[in-house]
Amino acid sequence: MDEPELILAAKHGDLAAFNTLVLAYQTIVFNTALRILGDDDLAADASQETFISAFRALNSYRGGSFRAWLLRTVTNACYDELRRKQRRPTTPLEPGTDEGDEVENPRWLADPNASPEDQMDQAELEHAIQHCLDDLPTDFKAVVVLADIQGLDYSEVSVIVKKPLGTIKSRLARARMRMRECLQSFRELLPAAFRLENERGR
Amino acid sequence: MTTPSFNDLVNLSASLDGQLSSTELSRLESRIEQNAPFAAALGDLQQTRLLLRRTPARRVPRNFTLNLAMAGLRPPLPRLVPVFSWASVTAMLLFLFTMGANFLGSLSFGAAAPRMVSAPMNSEAYGVGGGPPATVAPASDNTQAIPTEQNLAVQSPEPTPLSESRPLPPEVTPVPKQTVEPVRIISYLFLGIALVLIAAALLIGWTNERAFRRRSGAKNEH
Repeated sequence: MDEPELILAAKHGDLAAFNTLVLAYQTIVFNTALRILGDDDLAADASQETFISAFRALNSYRGGSFRAWLLRTVTNACYDELRRKQRRPTTPLEPGTDEGDEVENPRWLADPNASPEDQMDQAELEHAIQHCLDDLPTDFKAVVVLADIQGLDYSEVSVIVKKPLGTIKSRLARARMRMRECLQSFRELLPAAFRLENERGR
Repeated sequence: MTTPSFNDLVNLSASLDGQLSSTELSRLESRIEQNAPFAAALGDLQQTRLLLRRTPARRVPRNFTLNLAMAGLRPPLPRLVPVFSWASVTAMLLFLFTMGANFLGSLSFGAAAPRMVSAPMNSEAYGVGGGPPATVAPASDNTQAIPTEQNLAVQSPEPTPLSESRPLPPEVTPVPKQTVEPVRIISYLFLGIALVLIAAALLIGWTNERAFRRRSGAKNEH
């Protein structure tokens, strides 16, 4: 079955068809939530909540990009979670060193295909990017996550965040400039493979 | 040499994603060639974009597939449900009828039951020599209170032939059994039918739910 058939079957209550769609989109949904929220557990909860509400609201889906529809749902779930966090700030229970530095989460190193060196590089890069993303305002964060990290085009991002193309362009430019400034402080920490390369016109 | 404005930065950023028209792009390219700060800003944006695009995608910690409870799904109603909704109404009516019939039956039993008619309490009923209790000395008299043979002889009259002085007790008319038995049989019959219908409805519901769970489980496994 292709995607429209699966969606149609899911609309008629076929849970197996919907779960096929879940398996196809769960990675992008989870990673979007993870980059916006910056927390594994919250991202997992937001992803699960997204699929539950998507199944229940499937009749409101009127065609178009199903991926964009799902990402809009997860983005809204993340906005809700961020608002909740602002109302009730919590202290993360991350392990720390004696000096008070945060110990890296070992799950970041869980890619079995990468060498230890690559895993370290990936972890450093991910940590730096997440740190800079966390400093961005929520609206900018969503745009940069969707356009640059998930690689969606502007029209899809526009549908997801419900803003016109001009707003997406300006928010993305501003977010990229702020990310650049932030990442410059990590430049020495970034591995050589991720140091500034030219890929003009890509 | 001019430093790029915010609008220039927006255009530079959009050019990386191919969001400029050909005329906008050619105009921007000429400015980039003439102004070093434009080229530097473009380089910075490119590098940032590249870095962001190389952010590793994390594996999902678990599958987010839904189960029946998460989806809020209930087993579809069996095809016999309309029949059994009528059947349950019928069963209820039969049950009420049965209860009502039993109640009425017990009332009619009470009405038809033989009643003892009290014998007339006059002096004639005790025959000659007998007397009503009024002739008996009051209990406060100790000598009379102690039952002696003499006292007993005074109190208990001698038996007299019934035909002479004591009137016959009224005859007990037997309740006709034909009016009760059919009602009871019918009420038991209806009660049986109601129980059978309820049992059948429960059985169908249970088998339907079991089949639904088995089907859904099999689908979710693939």
